[in-house]
Amino acid sequence: METPRSDLISVSVPSRAEYVHVLRAVTASVASRIPVSFDGIEDLRLAVDEACARLLALRSGSTRLTLTLRPLSDRLEAVVTIDAVAKGDWPPPGIEETLGWRLLSALVDTVTLTEGPPGPSIHLSKRALDPTLPSS
Amino acid sequence: MSSGDRAPGSSDREAELELFRRLPDDPSVRDELVRMFLPLAEYLARRFDRRGEPLDDLVQVASLGLLNAIDRFDLSRDVQFSTYAAVTIVGELKRHFRDKGWAIRVPRRLQEVGLRVNAVLPELAQELGRSPSIDELAVKAEASPEEVLDAIEAVQAYSTTPLDTPLGDHGSAPIDVLGAEDPSLEILDEWASVGPALQRLSERERRVLHLRFFRGLTQSEIAEQIGVSQMHVSRILSQTLRTLREEVGGDDAIPEAEPRGSRTEPR
Repeated sequence: METPRSDLISVSVPSRAEYVHVLRAVTASVASRIPVSFDGIEDLRLAVDEACARLLALRSGSTRLTLTLRPLSDRLEAVVTIDAVAKGDWPPPGIEETLGWRLLSALVDTVTLTEGPPGPSIHLSKRALDPTLPSS
Repeated sequence: MSSGDRAPGSSDREAELELFRRLPDDPSVRDELVRMFLPLAEYLARRFDRRGEPLDDLVQVASLGLLNAIDRFDLSRDVQFSTYAAVTIVGELKRHFRDKGWAIRVPRRLQEVGLRVNAVLPELAQELGRSPSIDELAVKAEASPEEVLDAIEAVQAYSTTPLDTPLGDHGSAPIDVLGAEDPSLEILDEWASVGPALQRLSERERRVLHLRFFRGLTQSEIAEQIGVSQMHVSRILSQTLRTLREEVGGDDAIPEAEPRGSRTEPR
């Protein structure tokens, strides 16, 4: 099931909201080459936005927001990490109940939260377009 | 405008309803409503001031929004008119900036590609029976995949301009007060816990949210269903999520993202 393709692409920007668009654009660009469908890319864009917003909210003392993409033949994995210390627990207790979490889980196929180093991370994965199937 | 002018009518729901009941038969009522709520329009226009548009123009746009609100207000929905008007007026102001912004800041080539992508997307999706890949779109739109991606991103950038700043950011804007007073707006049961935030969304925003997250439709399918372009759906979604995030997030609200380019010279 794992494919030999596992090139890692990593982009790091200052941990400020005005740079999130860079991460969105890179995600879309990489996703388009797997390919992820047009709608899937739109979902990914929103998901990266949401993940970045979550992490930026923690940004005490942070300097960088880093996106790592792993294009596989059947999906794109994206990890957003911030080099901040989470206020309180990470993942926050009861996170599954929050709106942000529901959004993320609706937008991508899997969402996982992990804790660094260098800091709190959100892992997203989105299935590639399967040309043999009608859109779901 | 003096501070006492805000939220006209909110204390006088009955009189307001009476006016709307008379509206169909008595054209002078329309003028009276305009007079009553013009301060609200002016107030909201002012909130968008200093973004490079003359205030007079903004007041015009806001007044147009007010007229639309008066004409479209539905008495049977148990919503205060001032709430409905505020939402409509703000929508009109945002659209004004978005249209302007698009014309000014997106290179013509990308505008063209964007329009073509919009045009071919539904038919391509229909043809394939699924959402197309960017390559497929590019071929159909006679552009490179990079251009297609750039065009989509350019549209997205518009949804993240400071125009989306919620009006409530000073805590006492009319929409803050009014929006919270309307328990009757139809909300999504599934998200009852975030009800107050959802109530501040327009009906269309809630509908898009519902279709995307509870019915699981794709953006293209939603576009078809509500009769707008996919790109418009995309804008609505990202703007709506941002609003919700700010409303619900409390301490995790983040400042507005600056889109590409500098915002120092909106003209």
